[in-house]
Amino acid sequence: MNATTISSSDLSGLAADLLAARVRVAGPARASDGTVEYRHAGAPAELVLDSGVPRRSLKEFFLPPTEPLFAWRTGAGGRVELLEAPLPADPAVVIGARPCDAAGIEALDKVMGWDYRDEPWFARREATTIVSLACAGFDRSCMCTSVGLAPDTTKGSDLLLVPIGGGAFRAEVVTAKGARLVAAYPARFRPASGEAEAEAFRKAAREKVAASAPPAADPLRPWLDAHFDHPLWREASLRCHGCGACAAVCPTCHCFDIVDEPETVGTGVRRRNWDTCQTPRFTIHASGHNPKNDQPARIRQRVLHKIVIYPKKFGEMLCTGCGRCSRACPGGMDLPEVLARIAALAGGAQ
Amino acid sequence: MTELRELAKKLLAEGAAKVVIGWEEGPRGVRPAFATDAAAADRLVFDARCAHDLAPYLDRRRVHVAKLGRPAVVVKPCDARAVAGLIRETQVKREDVVLVGVRCGGVLADPEAGGTLSADTIADRCRTCDSRETALADHVVGTPVEPLAAPSRRDARVAELDAMTPAQRWAFWQGELARCTRCNACRQVCPLCYCDRCMADKTQPQWIESSPHGRGNLSWHLLRAIHLAGRCVDCGECERACPSGIPLGLITRKVASVVADRFGHKPGDDPAVPSPIGTWRSDDPQEFIL
Repeated sequence: MNATTISSSDLSGLAADLLAARVRVAGPARASDGTVEYRHAGAPAELVLDSGVPRRSLKEFFLPPTEPLFAWRTGAGGRVELLEAPLPADPAVVIGARPCDAAGIEALDKVMGWDYRDEPWFARREATTIVSLACAGFDRSCMCTSVGLAPDTTKGSDLLLVPIGGGAFRAEVVTAKGARLVAAYPARFRPASGEAEAEAFRKAAREKVAASAPPAADPLRPWLDAHFDHPLWREASLRCHGCGACAAVCPTCHCFDIVDEPETVGTGVRRRNWDTCQTPRFTIHASGHNPKNDQPARIRQRVLHKIVIYPKKFGEMLCTGCGRCSRACPGGMDLPEVLARIAALAGGAQ
Repeated sequence: MTELRELAKKLLAEGAAKVVIGWEEGPRGVRPAFATDAAAADRLVFDARCAHDLAPYLDRRRVHVAKLGRPAVVVKPCDARAVAGLIRETQVKREDVVLVGVRCGGVLADPEAGGTLSADTIADRCRTCDSRETALADHVVGTPVEPLAAPSRRDARVAELDAMTPAQRWAFWQGELARCTRCNACRQVCPLCYCDRCMADKTQPQWIESSPHGRGNLSWHLLRAIHLAGRCVDCGECERACPSGIPLGLITRKVASVVADRFGHKPGDDPAVPSPIGTWRSDDPQEFIL
């Protein structure tokens, strides 16, 4: 793998160069209440790279909470004219993405390019370069090592920065897009150094996360397949409020609703909006029947979709172990705990 | 703590309740607990980290909770006001629930961080709460506590917003509400948001646009504020649950002060006292009706 080195000040300088070249720069920055979220930065100083897990994931830069698909206009003779929303193609660079968030974006490429090619998604994907910052392991809700990833995973990143001390980063070039970024701003990068320091950082981070993460999720699949109606789901979902906070902060929850919203008489916009399988409305049929009529069924759906259904269909896990669902849950639900419980049950069943 | 656990075990052993809904230690601090046996009752805790309002678990739509059987719920004074609201609005029958009141000196602004309760760490809503224990309880546990004297930063912020020009206030709220993704966490954790069919979920006609754009978000949060006017018990759950950190408490606090000024009403723990939205008086202010 190609590598290079960049200092903190050159990283800020790179952000400044990009902004000067009219490239959108995004990364962890503070919201009005001081909390860190991924935001578009107007100046390099707004980026705060070492400040924990941003409140919501990176997915909103590729699948916004709401987005127009097309507008309609009723013209002469009642003819309806459709006006397609322009494809988002503004070049953008994300600086300081967490590896678990970048991995989520790559996992979603599968479903977004499956039965049809989701044009807005891939337009943003192609226009965006993701520079991730290897994570030192954040807190006890982190579980990337349980889902086949690691705090230094390169999945989904174009460039991965690994701290090597002295405010510098070893920058590993992961994709051609990452190589193009390095090539476009040669003055900001130095010859590769700090290989041993980077390796030590990565090893320590993996060990830190693995120490508190639940057992690997992959081997739980046979048990989950065989225990669809296990009482576990009833017990685990008692405290669930059925809100969508977990899905809103999740890097891989991607379900959306499509709505037609009139703007004026004869005009309107079709939009797609984030949705969540945690509400009864998500599955209710026109007949009034609801196949997922209680919270245990909805929690089971969320867990199975992530670690059974998506992997079976697309060959990869739909959870990157970022831990946000556990941090955001107002009812104190905890995915690592649920997986540990399943692992204990599966171990006992063998 | 021993008193609470012993009472919970007694309620379960005597069959007065099939489940005691309280708090327990979880992976990230305390969290709601559903104790159906003595071992689980022995894990119940109550301290200043117990910010969660447990009244929403009495919602009849939570069939998997209802299936556990007759509940006993541990209530702080604000939670008791929520239960009073549910009884007042015929959602819960008083005789169907055992209420265990806990004496409360306030909860922490950041329950997950833990620590001791002080004028610096107390949640803002608790700074203006004058209720240390509820009368709406079958049992009351805990030691009597003195209120903490701490100025309300939230009231100061509401006053700042009141002093703004409409354009400034508009800009402030458009900025805050731009972060809303309409996940509905504020609605789902609210003990008084129990409608079977929320107006925001209706599509024919669609009164409230479901899109999280400026117009849809403003419609939703205005609707919620008005529907909770005189009903909100200031349990703080909407703001705590919001994954986008929107200061929803500023809205509920402002609306509460309007209801207090205009209707002389503050939601309390007596279900027999009607709320302004559920009653009519000939001297109700009405000059705003065109």
